[in-house]
Amino acid sequence: MLKNVSLTIEPGDFVAVIGNNGAGKSTLLNTIAGTLPADAGVLTLAGHDVTKKSVAYRAKWLSRVFQDPKMGTAGELSVAQNLTLAQQHTGSMGLGRYRKASQEVAYRELLQTLNMGLEERLTTQVKYLSGGQRQALSLLMATLSQPDLLLLDEHTAALDPQTSKKVMDLTQKIVETNQLTTMMITHKMSDALTYGNRLVMVQDGQVKLDVRGAAKDHLRQEELMSLFAE
Amino acid sequence: MLITSIGQGLLWAPLVIGVFLTFRILDIPDLTTEGSFPLGAAVTVSAMISGQSAVVASLLGFLAGCLAGWVTGMLDTKLHMPSLLAGILTMTGLYSVNMHVMGKSNVPLLNEKVLTNYLPATWSIDGQTIVVGAVVTGVVMAVLIWLFKTRLGLSLMATGDNPAMSAANGIYTDRMVIIGYMVSNGCIALSGALIAQSNGYADIGMGIGTIVIGLASVLVGEIFLRGRQIWVRLTGMVVGAIIYRFLLTVAMGLGFPVDDLKILSAGILVVVICLPILRTKYKTHQQLKRYLKQIGADEHEAESTSSLNRQASPEGLLSRDSK
Repeated sequence: MLKNVSLTIEPGDFVAVIGNNGAGKSTLLNTIAGTLPADAGVLTLAGHDVTKKSVAYRAKWLSRVFQDPKMGTAGELSVAQNLTLAQQHTGSMGLGRYRKASQEVAYRELLQTLNMGLEERLTTQVKYLSGGQRQALSLLMATLSQPDLLLLDEHTAALDPQTSKKVMDLTQKIVETNQLTTMMITHKMSDALTYGNRLVMVQDGQVKLDVRGAAKDHLRQEELMSLFAE
Repeated sequence: MLITSIGQGLLWAPLVIGVFLTFRILDIPDLTTEGSFPLGAAVTVSAMISGQSAVVASLLGFLAGCLAGWVTGMLDTKLHMPSLLAGILTMTGLYSVNMHVMGKSNVPLLNEKVLTNYLPATWSIDGQTIVVGAVVTGVVMAVLIWLFKTRLGLSLMATGDNPAMSAANGIYTDRMVIIGYMVSNGCIALSGALIAQSNGYADIGMGIGTIVIGLASVLVGEIFLRGRQIWVRLTGMVVGAIIYRFLLTVAMGLGFPVDDLKILSAGILVVVICLPILRTKYKTHQQLKRYLKQIGADEHEAESTSSLNRQASPEGLLSRDSK
């Protein structure tokens, strides 16, 4: 449940959202993505009112990485097919051939940046990849459409600590190079403090804390903990 | 006997391909089949009796099937009904529609020119059936192979595989599901149109058991021809349709009365569902035994651990979450 949430994300922001279980951080993200409808209020994406629009419609401006690596990719489809799907968030009814040789070269180069050897596995079905590989692919896919807002839904929570670190570093790199406006939900306080230029704390469906820039840099884990306890 | 099975199998192949589209690509068991199959037959036969050519009448049958699929699709996506229920509702409603289209429960073709009559009359009936079946099935396959090379086809596959991810990537999944239902039931109705012309009549009861025939043929086809590429999978469906017909012909040759064919169909479906599961179980058991032998454990232990591999359920053929 969300109550009277008013949040404006500026272009270029990298917002880390933290909160207890059930505080409403996932509800917040799902309301933005369109998975959950808003009962009241207005939601604007890149200047468009999308309050009543479907998930697919909002995808014009949004990309999303799910918590479960299986959710963000289509397991039966190949790596290349998944990338093609993510490349354009419009025109899914097109009757042109989706496979183009020139694109495969571009995909190969993109996958090389992940350093996971995926560039050699373009035709492999995604279900045969590991969780970390799938999540890295999801992340790459989410940036392909050049979204106005990238949503990260506890996207490292299902990974082991090492892979989780790797995916977080990758996230940082991708967000920086593509200058993406990002909203990241996390339950790891250290991640929320380390990454991003802005920190939002959600509690009881309300924004309890919203700090940015220098104020966020000065924030200590202990202060954050004490806020949690209240 | 084999030649007859090939001919009949090719006439049934569009139905199997239709069932494959909903069942395998969209991951929906669609019971509309039982209504859209006789609908195709009814519309085609009625159109032919009122003077349309066999080609036009068959196309009308196809379009009627698409319409039936659209209804199920709307019930499923816009009214949020479970897909099984949506199919049952359309199937039940179609019974009345089919009766109205035909006017009575059985309509014979009299002197109307059916598709096989376009071929030289000197050819044998089996030869004519095979050519007509092969041409129609070939066209259906060619169109679908093209479809699955397009962005639309990719979106269809993605929707069946992972709807949440598809929507997040801008695919209107409801639309995709409706399109899938339409193409699928169009193919199924086309098969009904072919069978009606081959039998020489349309009958209100001809749809009974068609979903079982379709599913069994899909599974039989997958046992014989496995692959990822769409043309391999579609060819597998045609092979499945033919083998299934052959099995039924053999059963009839063994003296099974026609009335018992339905229970036989159901039996075949049970067997083809269970076979791959049993095979996987057996393989797992063998592997475990070999492994235990390697590490030097005795037979007694191998038996006590066999309960373990019973828990490791093999990838279910009919399960929706075998990803």
